Amino acid sequence: MPLVINDEYPEKLFRDDGKRLDGRDKTELRPIKMEVGVIENADGSAYLEWGNNKIYAAVYGPREVHPHHLAKPDSGILRVFYRMTTYSVFERKRPAPGRREKEISMVITDCLKPLLFLELYPGTSFEVFIEVMDADGGTRCAATTVAALALADAGIPMKSLVTAVAVGKIDNELVVDLSGIEDKAGQADLPCAITWFNEELSLLQFDGDMNLEEMEEFLSLAKSALSDIYEIQLAALKKKYIDIQEEVSGGNS
Amino acid sequence: MEVIVKMMNIKRVISAIEKNYIIQNLRKEERFDDRGLWDYRKISIKHDVIASAEGSADVSLGKTRIVTGLKYEVGEPFPDMPNEGVCTVMAELLPIASPLFERGPPDEQSIELARVVDRGIRHADCVQTKKLCIEPNKAVYILFVDMYVLNYAGNLIDAGGISALTSLISSHIPEGKMEEGKLVWTGKYLDGEYIVKELPLVLTYGKIDNMIFLDPSLPEELICDGKISISVTEDKITSIQKSGEATFSFDEIKMLIKKSMEIGKKLRKDLNFWQYKVNYE
Amino acid sequence: MSFKDEEQRLKDDNQEEEAVNTEEDSDPDEFEDEETTRNLVVPGEILTTDTKTYLPGRGTILSQDRSKIISLNIGLKQTKKNYINVIPLRGFYTPRPGDKVLALVIDKNPVKYRCDINAKDDAILKPKNTMKRGRISRGMRGGPPDRDNSNAEMYDIGDILIAKIVSADRLNAPELTTVGKYLGKKNNGIVISIDPPKIPRVIGRDGSMIKNLKNLTKSTIFVTQNGRIWLKGEDIAHERLLIDAIRKIEREAHTVGLTDRMVDYIENEKKKRGLK
Repeated sequence: MPLVINDEYPEKLFRDDGKRLDGRDKTELRPIKMEVGVIENADGSAYLEWGNNKIYAAVYGPREVHPHHLAKPDSGILRVFYRMTTYSVFERKRPAPGRREKEISMVITDCLKPLLFLELYPGTSFEVFIEVMDADGGTRCAATTVAALALADAGIPMKSLVTAVAVGKIDNELVVDLSGIEDKAGQADLPCAITWFNEELSLLQFDGDMNLEEMEEFLSLAKSALSDIYEIQLAALKKKYIDIQEEVSGGNS
Repeated sequence: MEVIVKMMNIKRVISAIEKNYIIQNLRKEERFDDRGLWDYRKISIKHDVIASAEGSADVSLGKTRIVTGLKYEVGEPFPDMPNEGVCTVMAELLPIASPLFERGPPDEQSIELARVVDRGIRHADCVQTKKLCIEPNKAVYILFVDMYVLNYAGNLIDAGGISALTSLISSHIPEGKMEEGKLVWTGKYLDGEYIVKELPLVLTYGKIDNMIFLDPSLPEELICDGKISISVTEDKITSIQKSGEATFSFDEIKMLIKKSMEIGKKLRKDLNFWQYKVNYE
Repeated sequence: MSFKDEEQRLKDDNQEEEAVNTEEDSDPDEFEDEETTRNLVVPGEILTTDTKTYLPGRGTILSQDRSKIISLNIGLKQTKKNYINVIPLRGFYTPRPGDKVLALVIDKNPVKYRCDINAKDDAILKPKNTMKRGRISRGMRGGPPDRDNSNAEMYDIGDILIAKIVSADRLNAPELTTVGKYLGKKNNGIVISIDPPKIPRVIGRDGSMIKNLKNLTKSTIFVTQNGRIWLKGEDIAHERLLIDAIRKIEREAHTVGLTDRMVDYIENEKKKRGLK
């Protein structure tokens, strides 16, 4: 039976004043908050709020591989598990992981692997668990971004972080950082991620229709947004330590 | 964010000296975190934290942390209860919460957590299922209280109970009615005051040798010989669950039931659950 | 072997010697080093573009186009001679031969013990490496020495041992020994874990920090490389204070003036908590 209120898509994704439905300009990001070291028991962890997205990432590793037959003799393995809670979406989701979650897990693994030196840790595994507590568009990008922070928080040597964002086309306009409604009702959706050590794209997916000029503009809009989000990641990583430095010096530097 | 010094990372085995340390100190009624035998660790509650859920709570009991969300569906009632809605409780021990948890389908521990919390609620006249009927025999609300453990530091059950109750109290479920055979929204919401009557609390005790104590922390829980969880409302005992090999004498049980009523009353007063009711218009 | 020597040896064995950290037990306290800046860096951060003058040291890497030196870790930037290093603030323990570790026996069979040493692999301890010092039992009338393992210390699952790493390499599980001064099973006290990179900070320059901790809290402490610390105080209240103090060191390891601050902290807390 249907729910009392159903998921409806509005006809127009821009308001009369030219702003998007949540009041943003075309290239404006939603409010983003990040924090590291939030899960006590994990080797490394991070939390992210991005619009209404609320996502935890936790890293365990290096540790023994379970089941043993997956262990590689000459290299460590990286496994990413992207999961959503039943209550993270409008209509309650079944608890067991579905195909979408497994696909996103694979895509995020491909983003994180190039950052690590797995060949230094033969026979071990690094596991990244991502839990989406509340979802609202661009979750795979938010998940990638917070997973990178959790790896850094764990003290695992990395060549750099990776940052992700989704750009898209709604009502024939190119916009940055699609919200849930914009993702569902829009015309095109391009999640992408950049690894900073070589400034190349490690995640790239696309659904919709676009021409060549739009595509070029897309990628340059994305690059600029990614830099802004990267700043937030760096600040979150350092904040814990800088706050303590300030605290002990009584506010003097 | 404080960096906490951990007791030695508990993986598969607890060390003998840690076990002795806890037991010797318990004999002197001392616990490592400076608590008395009948004290809870610090409890903190944040309600209505998940935008996509129709009620939610983020509860910490010491370092144990559970985030619970409430979702609803509309469906047919059970044939033997045609005028009543349904409330069902589920729990998942997320692998991020502890190196001791593995991925996969619910195991014994998560099933125990879900069932004990469920029974505490069910037998306490907490959720008013008769008020969750839209049309008898045809359409009722099915409420899902889903608990996710984010960090495991002992005593999931009591934390789960508080988070489940708070989620229900913070509920804002769209009110539906049948109009010409179709389900429509009245524009209003069912809230915690409508759905919840009694406020059950579950209290869990650990037993080591002949020493009993409230709210076992992780090391205490891992070495204890047995546990007992007692659910209480203001004036009734609604459910009991004993687990583990330890046995409890009749006197011990009577003492614990009396203690649970007392501690339950005080805790209910301190936590002041009705402050978590929300108003959605 | 005279009767007197045997007697002395028995006496030595029966005394539970309190393990004491010496300078060899840890890497130098890099955090107190003058060449370590308070400059916090993160993975991927560019440390310098002057690759003619500087070379990539610990925790750093040269970029692919060789134009910059990049940090691999979250840590403090340090320049030593013409090497740029990053002193990590977070990290896991990697066993090295000679390291002293606190090991937890998690499994055993007749040929070996399996121990958790807080590293990516569990370590192995063979009975031949648990022989008590100097005891060679002789057969009747001074005959050839017994060759059975009855001189070996027997351990159980759940025992805490102070052990030394004998060998550790990429391919094999690390091997331990409990033969040596201060090594062997601990029968009391408790063990806590901290971030392995912060262990040198708990010992301090010339052991200054650990001396303060011991004297001011009237406790015994033994610090090991794998991020574990064994401690025993007068009573649970002193132990709590000591652990809170170690927690503070772990948290503030990257700041200046920590040694003096810790002395103040412990003195203040003793007053607050009514301890002597």
